[in-house]
Amino acid sequence: MALWYLTRAAGAVTLVLLTLTLVLGVLNVERVASARFPRFVIDGWHRTISLLACVLLALHVGTTLLDGYAPVRIVDAVVPFISAYRPLWLGLGALALDLLVAVAVTSLLRARVGIRAWRAVHWAAYACWPLAFVHGLGTGSDVRAGWVTWLALGCAVAVVVAIVARLADRDVTPGVRAGALTALVAAAIGLGTWLPAGPMAKGWAKKAGTPAALLGGRHATTARRTHR
Amino acid sequence: MTERLLAGLPADGPIGLVAHEALHGPVPAGGPSLIEAVTASGLRGRGGAGFPSGVKMAAVAGGRRRPVVVVNGTEGEPMSAKDRVLMERVPHLVLDGAAAAAQAVGAREVLVCAPPEVVAPLHRAVAERDRRRGTPRVTVHAAARGYVAGEETAVLAHLEGRPPLPRVTPPLPAQRGYRGRPTLVLNAETIAHVGLIARHGAGWFREAGTASRPGTMLVTLSGAVRRPGVYEVPVGTTIEELVADAAGTVEPLRALLVGGYFGAWVDPDAAGLALDDTVLRAHGAAVGAGVVVALGASTCPVAETARLATYLATQSAGQCGPCVNGLPAIATVVGRFATARTERGDGERLTRWIELVKRRGACAHPDGFARMLETAFGLFREDFHEHARTGPCARCHAGSVLHLPVGDRVGAAA
Repeated sequence: MALWYLTRAAGAVTLVLLTLTLVLGVLNVERVASARFPRFVIDGWHRTISLLACVLLALHVGTTLLDGYAPVRIVDAVVPFISAYRPLWLGLGALALDLLVAVAVTSLLRARVGIRAWRAVHWAAYACWPLAFVHGLGTGSDVRAGWVTWLALGCAVAVVVAIVARLADRDVTPGVRAGALTALVAAAIGLGTWLPAGPMAKGWAKKAGTPAALLGGRHATTARRTHR
Repeated sequence: MTERLLAGLPADGPIGLVAHEALHGPVPAGGPSLIEAVTASGLRGRGGAGFPSGVKMAAVAGGRRRPVVVVNGTEGEPMSAKDRVLMERVPHLVLDGAAAAAQAVGAREVLVCAPPEVVAPLHRAVAERDRRRGTPRVTVHAAARGYVAGEETAVLAHLEGRPPLPRVTPPLPAQRGYRGRPTLVLNAETIAHVGLIARHGAGWFREAGTASRPGTMLVTLSGAVRRPGVYEVPVGTTIEELVADAAGTVEPLRALLVGGYFGAWVDPDAAGLALDDTVLRAHGAAVGAGVVVALGASTCPVAETARLATYLATQSAGQCGPCVNGLPAIATVVGRFATARTERGDGERLTRWIELVKRRGACAHPDGFARMLETAFGLFREDFHEHARTGPCARCHAGSVLHLPVGDRVGAAA
């Protein structure tokens, strides 16, 4: 039981750390700095916090696997959409994990893989965050606990602001800018319609693909009590 | 008598080939046995890193493609003059070593990279030697300017016609060096020692120096001593003996900068201080490129540290973020101690920021910068506190003993 709480908490903290990492990464690209906080310091934070996010993610995945409640196997954590437990929503998390591992490994081996390959892979960070975000909302047992949703939405606002700032940069071509802005608007509309009808509505656990055996179980009862 | 490299040096000008061979005798033809001899001699690189030369030679000889030998006489270290002196005055010893090393590793080509002012004397020396069958072709190239231009991968880049910028290793030059070939890059002094080991053997080499660090070494001594210059001493010579060789000091000493600008500030009164890495390690220092700068008591150590930090910050090759952005930011804060009022938390900020640049470069430039500053903060702690309290001191604007070349900035890469 404690593990299941730890899983959820570690997931939420990972999202916050990924958000900070992304925002700091954009700050760095945009050369936002001052005498007190020069670029290499902000870069240092980006690096440290991203590594911390990896540690928390390991905790998140590790506790999920160790906890006996949800039937999640190691392979489900890395191969998307094959899990017996909420396959789609867990799969998004697996996908986010794969991308984060790719980004982290190429960063640690940047000297060996070369700057071009590193940069190409590093773009995947922009895909990693939304996947992790939707995974959190879709899989999360905590969306109906108000403050978790607010935390997630706060992270989303921070990321949107950072991405808009990034898009304002002169190195972004008009086509990319228009495409990215359209995607942002579409994502906001999608989130606005999906969230109230999906994770925030009653019966989401069943709809999301939770095995029937778990729905009437001890944990589900506890979870319901917690969420009221 | 410990002079080996500088033995029989005339008052001025280079030693000609005839005099040279009369002095040292002819070089026996080198073969693979020279690699064993160099390994057995315990010779370590004299350019700064102190890597065992025999290991390098064996690695190069074991490569699949035909190797190249590069004599690194770039000497980007502003306080060092030993390689220049050696190549200008004793060029044939350097060329002997290069030829013997080339034959030992199976190279047919030797590239000598030397400061522009010694290119002409080296050319004359090369022309003096007859090219017998089996001896390698030697070409002399003017070195690039800038502090990091002497780093071995930067030297290779320069020889290949690219900007003299260090690159990430591995692959090491011994694996993939000049034009992708296995390359033996040895400092000019190191290769001159090889020239003597080829003649006299490993046992002879070990007659000088210590058991773990054998041989003699060239030291460039400068600052508050009566006779600054290049000295040849056995490895392990004490600083006291070295200073005595230079006819003593002109004033009481406040500190010694040992190794080079990437080196360490050391307390001159520390007991048993000697030119031996195993001794210097306890003081956070290393013999490095054999540089010793004596800082007199009339000079402000804070101001000297700040000037040095500023200079090193300008010498970043411009490739790695923490070096490009970090070094100038750190140097600015250090500079505040010597030129203006410090801000709250500056001391703590420096300690934190220095951690952020260590091991974050393609080359060791940020690490050398960090070592120099950290040893300065350790040794000059009181002076830094004093400057933080009361601002710049009267000695801050006194002349510097440090040579800080202007306009040596390496072209920044994208």
